[in-house]
Parts: sequence; C-alpha cells; structure tokens
Amino acid sequence: MTAAQIRLVTLIRREVSRFMKIKRQTVGAPLLETFLYISVFGAALGSRINELNGIDYVIFVIPGLIMMAWAINAFSNNSSSILQQKFQRAIDDQLSSPASPAELLLAFSLGGFLRGMTVAVLTFIAASLLTDLPVKEPLVLIPGLFLTGFFFAQLGVLVGVRAEQFDDVSFAQTFVLQPLIFLGGVFYSADLLPDPFETLTQFNPIYYMIGLVRYGFLGYQETNIALSLLFLALVTGALFLFNLRLFRRGYKLRV
Amino acid sequence: MHALDIEGLTKRYPTGVEALHEVSLEIPDGALFGLLGPNGAGKSTLIHCSTGLATPTSGEIRIFGHDAIDDYSDARLAVGLAPQELNLDFFLTVEESLDFHGGYFGMPRRERRERTKELLEIFSLSEKKDDRTRTLSGGMKRRLILARALMHRPRLLILDEPTAGVDVELRLELWHYVQQVNQEGTTILLTTHYLEEAEQLCDRIAFINEGEIVAEGSSGELSAKYGVSSLEDAYLELVGRKELSRAKVAEIAS
Repeated sequence: MTAAQIRLVTLIRREVSRFMKIKRQTVGAPLLETFLYISVFGAALGSRINELNGIDYVIFVIPGLIMMAWAINAFSNNSSSILQQKFQRAIDDQLSSPASPAELLLAFSLGGFLRGMTVAVLTFIAASLLTDLPVKEPLVLIPGLFLTGFFFAQLGVLVGVRAEQFDDVSFAQTFVLQPLIFLGGVFYSADLLPDPFETLTQFNPIYYMIGLVRYGFLGYQETNIALSLLFLALVTGALFLFNLRLFRRGYKLRV
Repeated sequence: MHALDIEGLTKRYPTGVEALHEVSLEIPDGALFGLLGPNGAGKSTLIHCSTGLATPTSGEIRIFGHDAIDDYSDARLAVGLAPQELNLDFFLTVEESLDFHGGYFGMPRRERRERTKELLEIFSLSEKKDDRTRTLSGGMKRRLILARALMHRPRLLILDEPTAGVDVELRLELWHYVQQVNQEGTTILLTTHYLEEAEQLCDRIAFINEGEIVAEGSSGELSAKYGVSSLEDAYLELVGRKELSRAKVAEIAS
C-alpha cells in the first residue's frame, strides 16, 4: 500500500470505528425505528389499506424505508462526527497531517455512507425475512441507492462543516431533511394526492430518489428513471465539488 | 538548511485583526528554540500557519526546505505538533490514538505497531493502552499528546505550551523527554509562559509581541539587549511591566 492509500484507509477506519463503538445508537436505534415503521405502517395500517397500485402496502413502503434509513444515517453520521471533532479540536490531528482536502472529504463522506449502508442492508435482510420483497431491477436499484447514500453523506459533511453548535445539525435534520423525506412519498404514492400537493411533490428531489429505489425493488414506475438517475448523479457530483472547494479553502475547519 | 524558515508571514483574520505582521524567523536544524510572548502575541497563530491549521494571508514557510503552504505534503511529514489544548479523540483508545495518527501520516501497519509499543513504554502508558482517552488524567493526556506528536518520527517537534497547567513532577518529566528528543537530533520549537523553562531548555529564544518578532538570541543576549540581568526582566521590559521585576519588588518590600 502506498502512503496515500494508508492515509485514506486510516481516515475511513476512524469514521467507521466511531460509529461502531456506539453501534447501539448508530446502528441499533435506526434499525429498530425502521422495524417499527414496517410494523405500524405495514402490519397494522397495511391490513386496512391492503393494496396500493396493485402492490401490498407493506411491500410498497419498504423500499422507501430502506432509502430513508440510508439517507438519514449517512447525513446524521457525517454532520455529528465532523461537528464533534471540531468541538474537541481532535480534527486538527487529521488537518495537520499530509492528507489532501480530497482525501479528507472522501473519508468523512464514506463514514456516513457506510453507516447508512449497514443500516439499509440490515433493514433489507430483516424485511426479506419478514415479507416477500422482490428485487426486480438491480441495475437501477444499486446505483440509485449508492447515489442517494453518497448525496446525503455529502449533505451531512456540508452541514457538519458549516455548523457551529449541535442545534444547527438537529435543525437541518428535523426541519428540512425529515419533512422532505416524509413528504417525498415514502408512505404513499404521489398520484394519490390531490392537487396542488401532487404537483408540489414533484419539486421535492427526494420524490425522485424514492421513485428510483421503488422501481429498483418493485419494478413500479412513478418517475422517469433515466432522467432521475442522471439528475441525481449530477446533483451528487456538484455537491461533492462544492464540498471539495470548501475543504480546499479550509472553510470553518482551518482558521 | 533550516528546520523552519519563515519569511514575511502575515496572518489577517476575516475580522480584520492582524495576528502576525511580516514575521521572519529561522530555526536551525537541531536547535531547541523558544518562542516567548504574552497571550495574544501570535505564538499559536505562527504555529498554526506552520502546521496547516491556519491559512497565511501572505509570506512563505519552509520546513527543511519544503513548502509548508501550498505543496505541503513533505513539510507536514517532517513536523509533529503537540498543541496547547488536550485535543484527543474521545472515541479512541490510547493505543488507537497513536496508531491512527501513524496512519494519517502514511506509516505501514507493522511500523505503527512497533512505534506505538515503544512510545507507550517510554511515556508509561502501556497499562492504559486499551482505555478510552477521555478516561485519562490530565497528566496522562498531556503525555499521550506528546507521544502522538512523536509517533511519525518528525524532524521538527512543535510544542505549544506543553507544561501549561501540569504539576511540578510532570513538568520535570516533560522537560526530560524534550531534552532527550532534542539530543537525539529532533529540532524543537517550544512556546511557554514559564521563563525558567525557556532559560533552562532553549539554546535560542525569540520574543514575539503584537504579531511581530521583536528580539532574538540566547538568554544572555536578550538580557544584555534590554540591559537587565535575567530573561524574566528582559521579558517584563518587552511587555512594558518592568515594575513587576523581582528586584524592584524586593527593593520596595525592604
């Protein structure tokens, strides 16, 4: 391994080690939360709703829940980890190392990405054991989930770098992210909504992410798949480049 | 070649405050160099600019001839920083703190393992290796920070007030480590508020005040420059508080 590879692997190891040391909170709690959603919306309410667009209601909501688990965990891991390290100034150990801005950004991003992936994979395994969850379009599902996870990992980095207190992080998560995810159609199909809500939903970027993941699992198409993938790739790339610019400038990291 | 070569370094914060103004400083290879000055004089800013924690407004910094600002990779490899704050990562154990630091500096696993073991023994931390850093006493945290700075075998060790708030025993212990590391060939830049520490340890000293280096030399040269008999009196002259000189206070008391 080259020195640069050792650096990057160690930076990622630090992030993974952090969330694994508090795995009850970082993996166990979101897993339980998702399981409760499946129980309440799937088993309890689902028995009343029965089918949505010809799909069992519980099966209909699981793809959105998997996507939501990956997104929220990727976001909250990175925003909290960076802010905590800024508070303790422990981040100075990484910042004064030979690591480049790109290596630092990639490592911080992958920490949350991997935590989100862990929760999402465990949710998928649990859901597969409990229900008959299909995977109809893996070639859309995998890039769709990976891009969504990486997008929220970037968003977490951005909020963590900008944040000056823990309130800034919880504000972004509670007042921006969660409403967008819930209103993006995790628990329902947007075409069931009356106007103007159906039209408004189409301005929510998360609607397209859920559309991709739901199509990947169920083959059920709500949005234009190719356009959604392209749009998501472009937005994720743009956010990565924006964060890279902040890391190069040392924005709120170096004085 | 100098261990640290700073030329025309200016650091202006976005608020407009100029922490460093056209600072030039050379620290010879192998020196134990003291940087003294009152709070807010610019000591930590100079250190932060040299280690990548602050971005200079203008000027040049070279570490063993390597650019420390733009093409900083080789310069950072040559520097170990023990900062003033106890900035340990609370999620890591003592052993992981050293191992991860070595990884950030590109050390292969085997070398990290051997160096970690060696440093844990030198700094009497072997028994605590599996403890989380937040559970350590203040003195142990201070020792771990010094061990961490030495982990990647830097040629220039920067110690920003390493003995601030530590008891007499640990202070003497740290002095011993610092002298030993210096004798082994590592250049040391030390900032401190304890003048007897600088007098005992440092072969050259610079005074910094209001963002400028105002005097430099050996302890004797600095005393002579200010026409006083000790480094402490020279310092009091620098900060304009010569009425606090021990000789003056004794004279008044008698």
